[in-house]
Amino acid sequence: MLKLILSRAVQGVVVLFVVSALTFALLAAAGGDALGELASEQGASETTLREMRRVYGLDEPLASRYFHWLANLARGRMGESFYYHAPVATIIRPRLLRTLALSAVALALAISFSLALGALAARRKGSLWDRASELVILLTASTPRIVLALVALAVVARTSWFPVGGAGAETLTADFSLLRILPPAVVLALPLVALFLAQAREGLSHALAQDFVQVARAKGLPERAVIMRHALRDALNPLITLTGYAAGSVVSGSVIVETVLGWSGLGALSVNAVRHRDVPLLMGVVMVTATAVLVGNLVADILLRLNDPRLRQDHAQKTRRGTNRSLNLPAPGA
Amino acid sequence: MTDTQPPHPPDTRAAPPPSHADAWERAHAAPGSWRARARRRLARRGKLIAGLGIVSTFYVIAVLANFIAPYDASEQSRQQPFAPPTRIRFQDAEGRWHARPFIYRLRLTDPLARTYGEDTSARFPLALFTRGHTYKLFGLFPTDRHLFGVAADATATPNAPPQRVYLLGTDDFGRDRLSRLLMASRFSLAVGPLGTLLAGVLGVVLGCVSGYAGRRVDALLMRAADAMLALPDLVLILAARAAFPLVLPPSSAGLLLVGIFIAIGWAEMARLARGLVLGLREREFVLAAVSLGLTQKRILFRHILPNASRPLVVQLSLMLPAFLLAETALSFLGVGVQEPAASWGNMLVAASNLTLLGQQPLVLLSPAFAIFLFVLGVRLLSDGLRRDGDGRAR
Repeated sequence: MLKLILSRAVQGVVVLFVVSALTFALLAAAGGDALGELASEQGASETTLREMRRVYGLDEPLASRYFHWLANLARGRMGESFYYHAPVATIIRPRLLRTLALSAVALALAISFSLALGALAARRKGSLWDRASELVILLTASTPRIVLALVALAVVARTSWFPVGGAGAETLTADFSLLRILPPAVVLALPLVALFLAQAREGLSHALAQDFVQVARAKGLPERAVIMRHALRDALNPLITLTGYAAGSVVSGSVIVETVLGWSGLGALSVNAVRHRDVPLLMGVVMVTATAVLVGNLVADILLRLNDPRLRQDHAQKTRRGTNRSLNLPAPGA
Repeated sequence: MTDTQPPHPPDTRAAPPPSHADAWERAHAAPGSWRARARRRLARRGKLIAGLGIVSTFYVIAVLANFIAPYDASEQSRQQPFAPPTRIRFQDAEGRWHARPFIYRLRLTDPLARTYGEDTSARFPLALFTRGHTYKLFGLFPTDRHLFGVAADATATPNAPPQRVYLLGTDDFGRDRLSRLLMASRFSLAVGPLGTLLAGVLGVVLGCVSGYAGRRVDALLMRAADAMLALPDLVLILAARAAFPLVLPPSSAGLLLVGIFIAIGWAEMARLARGLVLGLREREFVLAAVSLGLTQKRILFRHILPNASRPLVVQLSLMLPAFLLAETALSFLGVGVQEPAASWGNMLVAASNLTLLGQQPLVLLSPAFAIFLFVLGVRLLSDGLRRDGDGRAR
């Protein structure tokens, strides 16, 4: 386990380094910066601009700026936002918490719904539940989040069930209530249902056809216990991996969902950073997001090993793909 | 068979054909009766056909957009902002019925609340193939015919222009929303698919290179792909977009988006193509091709790629909705296609206004329904393609 975490950490640092260099180069390559916008909007003079560029260190060559930024990052500083006039870290922290809270609720909703419906559908092929879940998969897979978000907004506008506003809330607890978080969380969760439900249904029906399930039934266990204790455990592996990979989709989705439904998190912040061409802020957001996705994948891998004892042995680590049921590869040790 | 010989215990080697077939069925066929299987196969075909139908309808509409659209997408009638969809009538205010559908003139009753009434003093009959603004059909033939509109002989009052027909109402500048929706489909249906296709081609080329070339190139390409995949699509696209001037004319914005999609989309495709190439190059038919002395290029393009084509096409159809939606999202956020040009994304901005959305939810969400329908079509298409592949493999 420790070996896994360490090797992933090293890989992660390399990936983060590449990501930061690419983003930095890209943002610098096109020229324009926040000060250019300032000049066109407020009519700052050429000398003022030059002076400001010198103060912010924007007149240095690209490489030295990048190393400056890296050195600061190593000391835990991500620079100062041009637009908010505050350290990037203090802007990102509360919004990161809010996005994490939103993602956690969304993931919990998606997983519990998918497992419940998947278990009902997997019991008999072609049953009403099975066909219903197929329809749910098709609909949730083809409804874009932007459409869902606007429909949710229409519902919020039409009814008085959900509190509105609080777009400017800057801390996690400022306007936190279950009703407030529910519309964005549902919108964030629905496209994930397509992914999870398809996998849960496939995995569970595969597991229910296995010999060990027959043994469990032969022991006289009630069907409930057969599914919960035996089949589910087997079907959970690919689902865990999928959840790790869904982290990226959740963050992408949060950009739209947070903007439309007024949840001030990382997604909404990244849009603001782009609109104001706030390079330090954007770099911060990109780094934090990339880290979150990498950590998500790592957590998924750790959970995978907790769920499946076969994977904890050392040799098994090298043949990890073996557990991917969707590929129908033999499981190690099976 | 040995019919003439005296009876003896059945020979196990000469098992009767039916049981063979049974075993084969059990091992290979989908579960269920032949009826169930036939139904499933039909459903698969149905998905493919429905998907093809939806997607091609969208493209036909996009090509004919300025013929179907009754008005110029950027032509404003400032006196009628946020007009509701025009009611098309057959019965007039006195209760008489008319064979030709007609509309009444809209009257702004309350400019602040934007409520409209109807002026029933004059009727404006509708007609097919009416004359309107000039445009070039298929970009070649100049014409001013439009599919439908208010009939030319409808000038009831000499100094006021005839009432326009707004099937989906108007937006804040009094522009016809239907015409905008139709013209927007052109942009949305060009940028996403073009980006997907080019990203796919680049991805396949890089994937093949990675799978076929030496270790160092492979490692370099795959680490680059890892870095691309570590970032969520939309954040990456936003970051790339931030590097360029925010306000761009629609044509260069479109090219820029295609470029960004290529730069970002290749990674996933390259991963898949590399995996397929690595798997296929050890197969017997490739070994046979090698032993025949064929060149690597020929083996790659004539033997390996055709066998990898189906998963690659499926992957393409999975990428398409993602890029289409990315384009919509960027336009919605104001950094994609910008006003006055129309795109599904920037039309949806009006829908994020809570009071307006409460008043005319269905009309404001019409671009959202268009997006949903198109993505559904693509999804059905890719489902049908994938299942079809399974069916052949059985």
